[in-house]
Amino acid sequence: MLSLSNVDVIYGGVIQVLRSANIEVREGQMTVLLGANGAGKSTTLKAISGLLHADHGTVTAGRITFDGVDITNADPAGIFGLGVVQVLEGRRVLEHLTVLQNLMVGAHRRRDRAAVRADLDKVFGYFPALSGLVNRTAGYLSGGEMQMLLLGRALMARPRLLILDEPSMGLAPILTQKVFETIARIKREEGLTVLLVEQNARAAINQCDYGYVMEGGRIVLHGTRAELEGNQDVQEFYLGLSGDADRPSFREVKHYRRRKRWLG
Amino acid sequence: MIELIQILIEGTLVGLVYGLVAICFVVVYRASKIINLAQGEVLMFGAFLLWTFTAGARAAGYDLPLPVALILTGIACVIFGMVMERAIFRPLIGQPAFTIFMAGVALLILVHGLAQLLWGARTRGAPVILPEGALSFGPFLFNTRLLIGAVFTVALTFALHAFFTRSRFGLRLAAVAEDHTIALSLGVSVRQAIAVAWVLSTLLATVAAVVLLSGSILSLEVAHIGFKALPVALLGGMESIRGAPLAGVIIGVLEALAITYLDPMTNGAASGVLPYAAMIAVLLIRPYGLFGWRKIERL
Repeated sequence: MLSLSNVDVIYGGVIQVLRSANIEVREGQMTVLLGANGAGKSTTLKAISGLLHADHGTVTAGRITFDGVDITNADPAGIFGLGVVQVLEGRRVLEHLTVLQNLMVGAHRRRDRAAVRADLDKVFGYFPALSGLVNRTAGYLSGGEMQMLLLGRALMARPRLLILDEPSMGLAPILTQKVFETIARIKREEGLTVLLVEQNARAAINQCDYGYVMEGGRIVLHGTRAELEGNQDVQEFYLGLSGDADRPSFREVKHYRRRKRWLG
Repeated sequence: MIELIQILIEGTLVGLVYGLVAICFVVVYRASKIINLAQGEVLMFGAFLLWTFTAGARAAGYDLPLPVALILTGIACVIFGMVMERAIFRPLIGQPAFTIFMAGVALLILVHGLAQLLWGARTRGAPVILPEGALSFGPFLFNTRLLIGAVFTVALTFALHAFFTRSRFGLRLAAVAEDHTIALSLGVSVRQAIAVAWVLSTLLATVAAVVLLSGSILSLEVAHIGFKALPVALLGGMESIRGAPLAGVIIGVLEALAITYLDPMTNGAASGVLPYAAMIAVLLIRPYGLFGWRKIERL
């Protein structure tokens, strides 16, 4: 459905953040992008949704296609029109608008009023807490409520590909779990394709169909959920599991050895 | 007592015209976070365009019917608004606030000079669009021209408020007013929204010019209304459509009271100063204005 082939991204004409990234997102699947801070995950997402220009970045090489349409460096409004909807990192609600207005902004391109109303009810079905808050100013919601609002707003656009940038950021573990369960449920019930960036690797891998691991702007590892779960490096670095009890502790592993594993 | 009520009536009507000009500031500010310092000049330019298509055309031998002249003025204003946005403010998107501030000052001087070049510095009679005279209700008099303007302003405020909070297109503009990155991520064309805001603001400024000047004197000095309306916009809150006419009434009434009761003692200085003093007093208590968007900080 979505494919990035050999994509390079350069910010401000000098700083290369993405190096020859190849990513494939298949229809109906949840694909997850893992990696440390600064690995280039958010940049990848912005390259897809066309928001790089706001940060003075451009795709300088490679191609991004969605359903066969070339969207490399395209206008964000046009990409949104194709059904690619990104939820930005950091709970970016429209603070001074009400919850209802926020949701309706998500549907601003749709003329089918009846279907919009039906979708509104569907969003309240997924997030019952929101239905009691329709006339509240969005900026005063709690973190969890904001995250629900953001997901709801994205759903109002009837996305074909939903891109989520760290939906668990700053949420309590129990809320994180709830958010991921809801995302999985929406994906299942709506047949949605999801591309997810997450720091909380355990929660993300649990839900995903396919995953990529990024480091230093490259894809260093990719595989299905089973492959990722079975991979020793992912287990050690992301899931904090150790297969055997006598595994040397992370602290004792020399830093070059830690890095070498990914660069190999 | 009757005199006091009459003063309040006049202050309210004049204040609503200030409110109308303040709405022009608000519309542009919401979309682009730019305070258009040249708003008064834009209004003056619109008034001259209207003169050109009415009295000017008649003097040149083309007697256009009034509706045609109004439509032509409207089209000219749309073009004028688009040119300002395209040529000056669009290339400056993302530049520091001070750069944009200076561009605003430059635009002010530029439009002023351009008007002087095109139409000369002499004063002339502004075309009569709205009926002259006054309606009397009991002992009270309502200036017909200002009354029509006031009714228009109030209706416009309700219409714009509904537009920004309910309609699909208005919600797009509201999203742009909130945050450009979020708007982009939701597929809103920020450029288009800003262009629409400039055109809308230029058209409204010309309507304000009609209300303000119909049948009175048209000159380059008309542009001073911009700096009378700016404190109104700040007082109402730069993001608030509803705040503008309300703040306009406050300032208008204060001004009318000052003209009657304080000016005789202060050589006419009080009425000029009072609106700004009131604005500063309110801004000290509510820096975002009466109805502006308070910065939401979460602790």
